[in-house]
Amino acid sequence: MNNNKFVGKVGIGEILTYVVLILVLIFTLMPLLFMVTAAFMDAKQIMSMPYTWIPSRKYFTTETRTFFTNFQKAILGNHGEKIFFRNLINSLVVAFTCSLTTVLMASLCGYGLAKFNFRGKTAVFMAIMSTMMIPFEAIMIPLYLVASKFRLINTIPGLIIPFLVSAFGVFQMRQYLITFPGEYLDAARVDGLSEFKIYYRIVLPNSTPVIATLGILSFRNQWDNLLWPLLCSQAEKMKTIPLYISKFAEEKQTDEGALMACALLASIPMFILFFSLSKYFLGGAAVYESRKG
Amino acid sequence: MKKALVLLLCLITIISSVFAQGAKEEVDTNQPITLEFWTHEDDARQALEERYIAEFQELHPNVTVNVTRQSAEKLRELVQTAFAAGEGPSFFNLPIENEFQYIEAGRVAPADYETLGFKDAKDLLNAYADGMIDAVYYDGDIYGLPLETTNWSIFLNKKVFRDAGLDPEKDYPKTWEDMVEVSKKIIIRDGDIIQRRGFDFRYSYELTYFVPMVEQLGGALSESEGCVNKDAWVKALTFMQNWGPQGENLGNPTLTAARKLFNKDNNDIAMCNTGLYQEARILSDNPNFYNSGEWMVVPYPVFENAVKDVAGCYYAHFYMVNADASAAEQKMAWELIKYMLLTPGHAEEYLTNVGLIQPTKALLESDTYASMPYSDVFKNDFARAHITYYGKGATAIQSAINSAIKQVMLQGADPAAAYDALQKNVMEILAD
Amino acid sequence: MKTKKYSIERKQARWGFAFTVPCLVFFAIFSFYPIISAFITSLTNRDAIKRTWDFIGFDNYVYLFTQSNGGFSLMNSLKATGIFTIGTFIPMVVVSLLLAVLIMQLRRPSHSKIFELAFYTPAVLSSVVAATIWMILFQPTGLFNQLTNTIMRTSGRDYQWLTSDAMLRASTIIVYFWKYIGYFTILFITGLASIPPTIYEAAIVDGSSRWHTFWKITLPLLKPTIMLVSIMAMLQCLKTFSTQYMFVQGGTAREPIDVITMNIYYTGVVNRRLGRSSAMSIILFVIMLFFTFLQFKTQKGDEDVEY
Repeated sequence: MNNNKFVGKVGIGEILTYVVLILVLIFTLMPLLFMVTAAFMDAKQIMSMPYTWIPSRKYFTTETRTFFTNFQKAILGNHGEKIFFRNLINSLVVAFTCSLTTVLMASLCGYGLAKFNFRGKTAVFMAIMSTMMIPFEAIMIPLYLVASKFRLINTIPGLIIPFLVSAFGVFQMRQYLITFPGEYLDAARVDGLSEFKIYYRIVLPNSTPVIATLGILSFRNQWDNLLWPLLCSQAEKMKTIPLYISKFAEEKQTDEGALMACALLASIPMFILFFSLSKYFLGGAAVYESRKG
Repeated sequence: MKKALVLLLCLITIISSVFAQGAKEEVDTNQPITLEFWTHEDDARQALEERYIAEFQELHPNVTVNVTRQSAEKLRELVQTAFAAGEGPSFFNLPIENEFQYIEAGRVAPADYETLGFKDAKDLLNAYADGMIDAVYYDGDIYGLPLETTNWSIFLNKKVFRDAGLDPEKDYPKTWEDMVEVSKKIIIRDGDIIQRRGFDFRYSYELTYFVPMVEQLGGALSESEGCVNKDAWVKALTFMQNWGPQGENLGNPTLTAARKLFNKDNNDIAMCNTGLYQEARILSDNPNFYNSGEWMVVPYPVFENAVKDVAGCYYAHFYMVNADASAAEQKMAWELIKYMLLTPGHAEEYLTNVGLIQPTKALLESDTYASMPYSDVFKNDFARAHITYYGKGATAIQSAINSAIKQVMLQGADPAAAYDALQKNVMEILAD
Repeated sequence: MKTKKYSIERKQARWGFAFTVPCLVFFAIFSFYPIISAFITSLTNRDAIKRTWDFIGFDNYVYLFTQSNGGFSLMNSLKATGIFTIGTFIPMVVVSLLLAVLIMQLRRPSHSKIFELAFYTPAVLSSVVAATIWMILFQPTGLFNQLTNTIMRTSGRDYQWLTSDAMLRASTIIVYFWKYIGYFTILFITGLASIPPTIYEAAIVDGSSRWHTFWKITLPLLKPTIMLVSIMAMLQCLKTFSTQYMFVQGGTAREPIDVITMNIYYTGVVNRRLGRSSAMSIILFVIMLFFTFLQFKTQKGDEDVEY
């Protein structure tokens, strides 16, 4: 594995490369670091100029304040509604279910499109691809009508069902499976495995990298979804984390520190998921070593 | 035989349908009823109404009440979407400029006078101060009961005034020109960067705070002619331009809202434009500040050369009932509205706990009202105010005015050109 | 024999079709039906609250192209979307490709991992969180303005990140860029990693320079990935909503960043004009279809790059 890497002695090019990368690193991490540090600060310190990166007691305006006051506020809510965890669980359930169904349905459909020939295949593929061009704002209201007809408003299924699968997922699975060696499939057929069994015994297990990528992507998309929950979850208990944050941000009592604490807490599950699955998609891991040998 | 059977069937159908209709008129309010109640967020009111609803449910065990609370802006969008889908809550409230359209479109039901305990529309009108609920009096019926009518005066932090070497009792701004001068004395900047403001406007509520400023100069907003009197509008826009970063740099819409900072008493804002309810919020957010008495309320300023004495507009929220709800649901909804708003003592509680004024004659003349701190200031401002524009395209017109203000303040547009564009847009909205 | 093979193929074809059925049904209900319904709505004067509406043909489309829509015209939205899309997706594709190449050059895999991880992290945050953080950073008293002052060797200057037109546009681009740069870098790294090392080894043996290798070998081989990434990046930019929405909610001017999706939202959900906002959605849909088609078309010739 030598993809045109630096070889030999440290040269000017290598130093320059590090300089550029570190500059970008600072740019990407600075706002995150701001979020983390500000989460422990009093609003007064956050707005003080120049920004002091280390949370300090000397800016505290009340005696009862501690470094964790912001987190308390974020979890309890400004009026002690204590629905943070409830909303967190909603978000987790929705994102997890959606990523699971996306992986299953997209791989099934992608497999059908990649490895079979049937009449109208191109039409089916193009039709599915064209849904990628539909802006959600365009179908929001008709979708609301459908959802309210099926009594899905204010329910968890209502949050999940419109996002069971994504066109992009189908596309990604198809692209991956199109180069899947046909011999494996033929061998399995000779062994007398049914088509469906071939799918879940051979195709699925051999697609882990792309499944991981797609899974985390759809998880993230749902975790991030704002517009649909805005319409669909009206009751406090049914809200998701992005709604919790945007509501928290709008409230008059919320100060910047508590907002950052809330943002930090809301990001933790995503961070955990991302870091634990990172080996599947970093360093070109998704280049499907299984296939390239 | 067959014919007879068909005939019999027909007869049964007819009779049963007649019966069904007959049954409909006899509203059965003892069956299990679920009421969906959508309202905007307000802590103090939430505490109060949760209690009222619990009490109400004890009286009517067959009724379940689901309350959905949203921020004011989200609520408006949500109610609209739900109504577009043919759904919607049993009853809800919105500011009148967003709510009037529901009356026009026949989506909300006229008040159930009998349930509310009145003879008819006139009788109900008489319970409220003159003209206060005219906005919901439409085609001989009343379509909602007021939760609040609110006007905004100027809240002032005395400490900040003294810190800037001013005497709050004497130096508080009486005119908009004063407002600029006082703010210039109070403001602290590091270079261009504002760290303490004297006052800032309540941007995005232009119908409430900006239209009266135009009216003071002789202009108006009219449903037939749009932005009347170019001269007045241009003067008001020029004032805003001078206020913003292109002029004296005293404030702008992207900074943290003034009323959000005010309660914290952190020496970063001296004045803000808000209603009586702010008193309840100061008390709950920062009791030390509330009890210190270091704040006061002063009247809404006018321009020095004003041709008309107008204070900030008042707006109103009404509880309205969905016309598509079943008869029993509607009746119960009015029953609950009555319990919350009209039960003796409740109006006083709304006033003292939440700072909301129901404009009933009884409340406005009560000692409770008179004893609220600075209620006289609000009362006097009320007398020289009128209700916000709630006619055609109110929401769109408000965004258009907001956009014009941002153009002159932030983008340095020429106020006369901004007015021309605004007038064109408003006329287009009205013609729509 | 021949007929048997034929029947196996038919049987398989049926299976293949059956596999796509769940997705097709899903898209029929949740994408095709709503978009058709949106198109029908776009031919009416439907209002969110009024009970009745009429068919008015293409009046909504005519209105959008000739009138100002209460000060927030479609033309302005097209311009705002255009500026945002071009200002975001071109730098994003170029920079992420550059970063991917740079990362791939590092000799220590652990270092590449760290950079990849760090660049990708912002993508993990939700848009609401991202916009919330940046709204604080962009305040005149905020960190980003302080930093600009330091870099530009000024003091106490307000660079008007949220107030002046040009800066406001730049701000939304920066937020988006920050959020997605790592995501696209990783897509490119995946593409780069799939180029077999033997090709490079041959090039090195040939004595070709690093720069030469990049232009003559890496770039052509990466063309399909570049195409895919630019289509995706472009579509995403055309659909941008949350960043602009959160900014406007935070009090900035709407006009300079009134991208089409936001105009759709305000026209339909806030100002009740469902018919007109549906017409705008259909226009956006057509624009997106057109650009995707165009990119597919230009790409057609060299779709099948063989390694």
